[in-house]
Amino acid sequence: MKAAKLQLATRTLLNPGAQQWAKVPAESISLGGTLAQQQPSRYVRTAWAGKPLGAVRTLKVQAAHNGKDILFRLEWEDETENKDHGDGSAFPDAAGVLFPLNGEAPLESMGSPKAPVNAWYWRANLPESEAQNLIATGLGTVQETAKNAAQARARWLDGRWEVVFARPFSVDGDGVKLSPRASSKVAFAVWEGSSQERGGLKSFSKRWRELEIA
Amino acid sequence: MARETTRKNGAEHQVAMVFDLNKCIGCQTCSVACKVLWTREEGTDYHWWCTVNTQPGRGHPRDYEAMGGGYRDGVVQPGRRPTRQEWGGGWDFNYDEVLYGGKGQSVFLHHVGEEPHWGPNWDEDQGAGEYPNAYYFYLPRLCNHCTKPACLEACPRGAMYKREQDGIVLRDESRCRGYQFCLEACPYKKVYFNFLRNVSQQCIGCFPRLEQSVAPACVRQCPGRAIWFGMMDDEESPVSKLVRKWQVALPLHPEYGTEPNIFYIPPIGPARLNDDGSFNETTPRIPIEYLETLFGPKVGTSLDTLQAAMAKTREGGKSELMDTLIAYHWKDMFKPFDRDPAEIQWK
Repeated sequence: MKAAKLQLATRTLLNPGAQQWAKVPAESISLGGTLAQQQPSRYVRTAWAGKPLGAVRTLKVQAAHNGKDILFRLEWEDETENKDHGDGSAFPDAAGVLFPLNGEAPLESMGSPKAPVNAWYWRANLPESEAQNLIATGLGTVQETAKNAAQARARWLDGRWEVVFARPFSVDGDGVKLSPRASSKVAFAVWEGSSQERGGLKSFSKRWRELEIA
Repeated sequence: MARETTRKNGAEHQVAMVFDLNKCIGCQTCSVACKVLWTREEGTDYHWWCTVNTQPGRGHPRDYEAMGGGYRDGVVQPGRRPTRQEWGGGWDFNYDEVLYGGKGQSVFLHHVGEEPHWGPNWDEDQGAGEYPNAYYFYLPRLCNHCTKPACLEACPRGAMYKREQDGIVLRDESRCRGYQFCLEACPYKKVYFNFLRNVSQQCIGCFPRLEQSVAPACVRQCPGRAIWFGMMDDEESPVSKLVRKWQVALPLHPEYGTEPNIFYIPPIGPARLNDDGSFNETTPRIPIEYLETLFGPKVGTSLDTLQAAMAKTREGGKSELMDTLIAYHWKDMFKPFDRDPAEIQWK
């Protein structure tokens, strides 16, 4: 996957409907569900045993940067727009972009104590333009950092979510180090709220992809 | 023996509460004491960490007993989360119009927004049975601070814990990410989701009060002297005596397998009446079979013990059990948590 360099303002590209995204090459990534038996809770393992996980199976991803910020545009089909918890029986839809913090990290276990991962996380009920910057060192360890430079903007249109993540290359505090003319591993996850997906119950890209930043 | 059963999930000691359902008058002072103290922030409008419901009844949230969770023979049982409608409550009213808008003489107070279909005490005093032998009683409920808390075990993030010093079940809100597995796993459905803050919340056992030797608000505010509170591992505490020594106080739904630490003295109820208005002492007005569905198979033994103690005192005898239940000395009900909260400078 390549992040092309564009001479465009971040605020322009943060708009998921910006026509400029049409020219950016898109990669279709197949997703798979996490495994119930790997969840760090006996209740979750029992309650979800034999139930399908990972409702969203295909994700379209585009990446770009403008020298200052790097952006990812994610797009997937979702007939149900879950902006919040509804009457309490659903969860808000969500998506995340994941990086190994120090070059290498196990993906299925969301990192390890020696190999943390960094996620930029968007959820449909977060305030406008807000994304969370998360660090994890294994399943069930996700922690939001105090300092956070990640943003996300999203729209749901005709049965599709379109979400754009943006973060400056240089950040103060915990976060993956990215820069132009460098590469990183990257992975993606989507949570389908009406299918009760949250936390470790999600669909994800199964393996790291190579991200080459122009 | 006592310590063996309480040293689970990190707790060295365990506080417990006993409600005497023969003395509870359903006044909701406990509910309101809790509400006023803990759930006034935004997002907690429908939270009632302590509720009093009429039994037989559908409870709060509505039909919670059919929502699963807990354990059966040690095996985790899947559960579901109540919907906002099944919780009910948290309604808005036209207070501004009636109280401040000058329409106090022309407009009735009424709810605003969606028509309510349930609430924390929706079926109050309905009960069951036929006149003149209809029956009901009140059942206060709060987090059971279980010895085997299903909520705690369900959390994949380890956000919940039992306090070592008193067994209170708490949630570290900085670790909670609002997944609500705790709510699914709790068979008593005493976990509330805060839709605005994206965290789950529940009774905190008034732990800041306990740390100052002050009893929980629900306990201390009860005007009926119906609630005892204390350390279960103190054999001289009324809670220990009522639960272990006399075995008259029973947990709600012991079959859920979480080993609650809130106990109930089952209701004896008034005598049945014959058609001619005379007493019928042959069968209780509240069917024992019904009470067993709530408090398990030991209800009969508990009621027999209570009846025997009553008979003994009626004949002029002395019964420590009856003296305890009468609660001659209010503060003895929750020693050593008997400090007056008004004396304390709360931060």
